[in-house]
Amino acid sequence: MRPALEIDDVAVYYDKRRALEGVTLTVERGEIVTLLGANGAGKSTTLRAVSGLVRAARGRIVYEGRDISHAPADAIVAAGVGHVPEGREIFGEFTVLENLLVGGHTVPRRQIGERLEEAFRLFPVLRERRLQAAGTLSGGEQQMLAIARALMPRPRLLLLDEPSLGLAPLLSREIFDVIRRINADGVSVLLVEQNARRALALATRGYVLETGRLVASGPSAGLAADPRVRRAYLGLDGARRGAAT
Amino acid sequence: MSGLATGSIYALMALSLVIIYNATRTLNFAQGEMLMISTFVGWTALQLLRAPLLVALLVAVVAAALLAWVLERTIIRHAISATHFDVLIITLGLSLMLRSAAGLLWTHDEFPFPSFFGSRPLGVGAVRVAPASLGIIGASLALMLALGALFRWTRLGRAMRAVAQNQRAARLMGISVEQVYSASWILAAAVGAVAGVLIAPVVFLSSQMGLVAINGFTAAVLGGFGSMPGAVVGGMVLGVLENLAPLYLPASIKHSVPFLVMITILIVRPGGLFGRVAPRKV
Repeated sequence: MRPALEIDDVAVYYDKRRALEGVTLTVERGEIVTLLGANGAGKSTTLRAVSGLVRAARGRIVYEGRDISHAPADAIVAAGVGHVPEGREIFGEFTVLENLLVGGHTVPRRQIGERLEEAFRLFPVLRERRLQAAGTLSGGEQQMLAIARALMPRPRLLLLDEPSLGLAPLLSREIFDVIRRINADGVSVLLVEQNARRALALATRGYVLETGRLVASGPSAGLAADPRVRRAYLGLDGARRGAAT
Repeated sequence: MSGLATGSIYALMALSLVIIYNATRTLNFAQGEMLMISTFVGWTALQLLRAPLLVALLVAVVAAALLAWVLERTIIRHAISATHFDVLIITLGLSLMLRSAAGLLWTHDEFPFPSFFGSRPLGVGAVRVAPASLGIIGASLALMLALGALFRWTRLGRAMRAVAQNQRAARLMGISVEQVYSASWILAAAVGAVAGVLIAPVVFLSSQMGLVAINGFTAAVLGGFGSMPGAVVGGMVLGVLENLAPLYLPASIKHSVPFLVMITILIVRPGGLFGRVAPRKV
C-alpha cells in the first residue's frame, strides 16, 4: 500500500520569492507526522501545496498513490484530504451548523445527518452552540469547529496548521487529545505546530524546515534530542526562547 | 404604489448586481444590457412562435442563463485573476457591444411588450391601483423569497455565501469557486431576465432599457453594497422617492433622484442602510 502522502522534491514560489525549495517528506498511513520550523519557514506553504491552494513549481505530490500535484483544490478535498488552515478561517457569519454543512459540501445528502452526529459526538459543545453565529465563539470553540468542519467528508489524511495557536494550555491539551482520537480512527495526520514539544510528543516522526528547506528529519525522540532542534524550537539552552512561535 | 413597482424592479437589478459582486468581488456593468437582450429574445419568441407570455418569460430566462454562462466562461473567467479594474472595463465594453448587437438585430426602436396583468384599475378600498403595479410587486416579491430560500437552504446557495465570506476557506470545503462564479452569473442573469419581462410593458422594449441597471446600482449602494436585504429595501426606497419627488420638487427632478440619493447616502452613511462600513486605511 502506498503511503498516505509523498511529497517529492517540491518547490513553491510566490512571484519570484522562494517559499519552498526541494522539500521531500512522507506520511505513512495511520501516522502522525509533525512539521517544525520558525515563522516563514514554509510550513503553511507545504500544507497549501498539498491541498491545492498553491501550485508546486516543481516536484510531485502523491496522495495514496495518486498524483495530485495538478489537481484542483475541490478535487483534492473530494479525494479525502482535509485541511484545517492556520487561523481557523471559519465562516464567521454562518451559524455553527451552517459551517458544518458547508464542510459537508462534498458529502452525499443522505449521509449529512450521520456526519453531523459524529461531529457533535466529538465536540459536544458545538451541539449546544449549533445555532450561534460562528464568529461569536471563543477561540477554542472556533478551533473545534474548524476541525469538525474539515472532518465532515471523513478525510483519510488531515492537514492541521497550528491548531493550538492562541489557546490556553488546558484547551490546547484538549485539542491534542482530539487529534490523537482522530488518528486512532485511522486518519493520517500532518501537523504543523508552534508548540514543538507537544507536537513531538504526539507525532511518530518529524521534519524541520528552515527558510524553505528541510534541515532535519527523523523519529520524534531523535529530533527532541537533537541539539539544534532543542535550541531553536524547544526553547532550551536559553538561546532563542520562543523562536518557534 | 407604482413607486413600489418600479422599486421592485430596481431591487431585482440590485440583487443581480450583488449576487455577482458577492461571489466574484467585481461589478457587472453589462447587467442591464443582458436584461435587455434576454427580454428581446423572449419577445422574439412571442412574435415568431406566437408563444404565450409565460413561455416568452421562460425563453428569456433560458437565453439570459446561456448568455451569462458563455460570457463568464469565455471572457470573464480569463480576466478574473487580473485586477478587478480589468473586469470592470471588460463588462463596460460588453455592455456597449451588447447594445449595438441589439440595435443590429432588433433596431433601436421601441416596441410594445404585452403584460401579464390587465390594465383596468383595481379598487382596493378607496384607492385605485394599476394591476400592473400589483403584479410587478407580487412577482418580484415571490422571486425574492425564492432567492432567499435558495441562499439559505440549498447547497449551492450556501456555497455561494461561503465564497462571498472567504474564498480560500470555501476551496478547502471542496467548493469549486469557478462553478460558483458561473452559477452567480447565471443566477443574476436569470433574475435580470424576469425583471426585464416585468418592466418591458411599462417602459417599452428597446435597446436602451438596460439603463435601468444604473438605478439598480444606486439601490444596491443605498442598501449597503453586498447586502441582499439591503438591495431589496434600497430598491423600494429609491422607487418610492423617485415617484414622490416630483410632487414636492420641480417635475423634471425625477430622473435626477437616483443620483441625488446616491450622493446623499455616500455622504451621510457611506456603508448604506444595511452595510457595515469597512474601515480602510488611507
